[in-house]
Amino acid sequence: MDAVKIIDSRGSACPGPITDLAKAYRNSKVGDIMELWATDKGVKADAQAWATKTGNEILEVKEDPEKISIKIKINKR
Amino acid sequence: MKKVLIIGGGGGGLILANHLDTNEYDVTVIDKSDLHFYQPWFLYIAFKGSKRKISRPIGELLKPGANFVKDEISTINLDERKVYGSRKGVYNYDYLVIATGTNPDPDSIPGLRQTYDEYGDYHTSVWSSQKLWSNVSKFKGGTVAIGQASPTCKCPPSLLEGAFLLEEHLRKVGLREKTRIVFFTPFPRAYPAEPMNRVVEPMVKERGIEVMPFFDVDTIDPQTKTITSLEGDSLKYDLPIIVPPCKGTKIKIIPETVQDEDRFIKADKKLMKITGYDDAFAVGDCNTLPTSKTGVTAHLEAMAVADIIQGKYSEFNGRINCPFDTAYGKATFVIADYNNPVAPYPPTRLKHMMKMTMARIYWMTLMGTADPIFDQFFKFTRPEKLNKKYATAD
Repeated sequence: MDAVKIIDSRGSACPGPITDLAKAYRNSKVGDIMELWATDKGVKADAQAWATKTGNEILEVKEDPEKISIKIKINKR
Repeated sequence: MKKVLIIGGGGGGLILANHLDTNEYDVTVIDKSDLHFYQPWFLYIAFKGSKRKISRPIGELLKPGANFVKDEISTINLDERKVYGSRKGVYNYDYLVIATGTNPDPDSIPGLRQTYDEYGDYHTSVWSSQKLWSNVSKFKGGTVAIGQASPTCKCPPSLLEGAFLLEEHLRKVGLREKTRIVFFTPFPRAYPAEPMNRVVEPMVKERGIEVMPFFDVDTIDPQTKTITSLEGDSLKYDLPIIVPPCKGTKIKIIPETVQDEDRFIKADKKLMKITGYDDAFAVGDCNTLPTSKTGVTAHLEAMAVADIIQGKYSEFNGRINCPFDTAYGKATFVIADYNNPVAPYPPTRLKHMMKMTMARIYWMTLMGTADPIFDQFFKFTRPEKLNKKYATAD
């Protein structure tokens, strides 16, 4: 299995972590696992909306004091 | 004297050069072009037909003692501290600063090259903006599809600024009722940062601009005049206004591991040092910093790097301060930093005047003569302050 691709968006306020997620999506393939790191609180709702729209899957959402990390499986490209 | 070599005569490169003490450092700026452009004005060429002169020779924008060389760099070898020019040979350095901005890439999306060549845009060049104005002024009504082709783009507010100024123009010339304006965006909403979206979304609705969120352009078919998104939606247009994706530098950099897949240069987000190097920096749009690609970040990053090179403690705090023209004579600023989210700062006439004043004094800002004004402005508009002042019930 390929390594998880880390997308580090910590500190990004504008345009924000979804930019980095969408950018990584363009360069991804079916089966890839990506982990988005962010500090922007809005990322949870945005990543969920993004996954629903694009038909991809959120595997896990973890929160610690330094970051929110969201693990995403690419099912559709 | 230590040699500082700056690749790129845009905002970042010039501000950096003008903040170095040329009695202590041998400062050289290299660019493939003689001219520096005030890029934020492309918007007013494209939607108002402005004929203002927005370029000046790079050599005239450097303070005495700093050198300008016109050359096109082909290769940078960070391990050997050598930079290869295609016209004038090899350059050595003690400190290297790469400030090459972005490159538009209309060839990376099928159908975009033809659309771009025919209709222009409001982001890339004077030529493309004039091209768009000629199409906008010929337009007789129908559907306008306006937006960015990919998430990597300069200046986040400018995309909606274009839609707002287009709407204002069409209303002025009596075509608004005959036109459907569709703003497509790869983001979840009209403005990507949610607090600013709360401010502008009512204006988007009130002006009847339709928004297609999560629309990341996959292909364009100029025959059927249809744009299809990666997410599977499609949009038919009569007038396409599509800002091409941005890519990083075309210069070959050794080692290539310092660049990401779009050729942006990986650098520390506070010190701008290229990953793995203490003597090489990437400033402004060409780097991978988690912030907006905009003039103000290039400016502030350049000031921090000038301090670092000169042995002073300094770091970039991620501050953005993007002027946002909401049309009909009003504007706001998108303000945030690494530790504070975007503030919901409302548009006013005064802020529009400030944006227009900024356009006039831009040349002074490159020389450093406007620094005291900026220092005060940045102090009065710290994002934590604005967030408190404009906090809403949630």
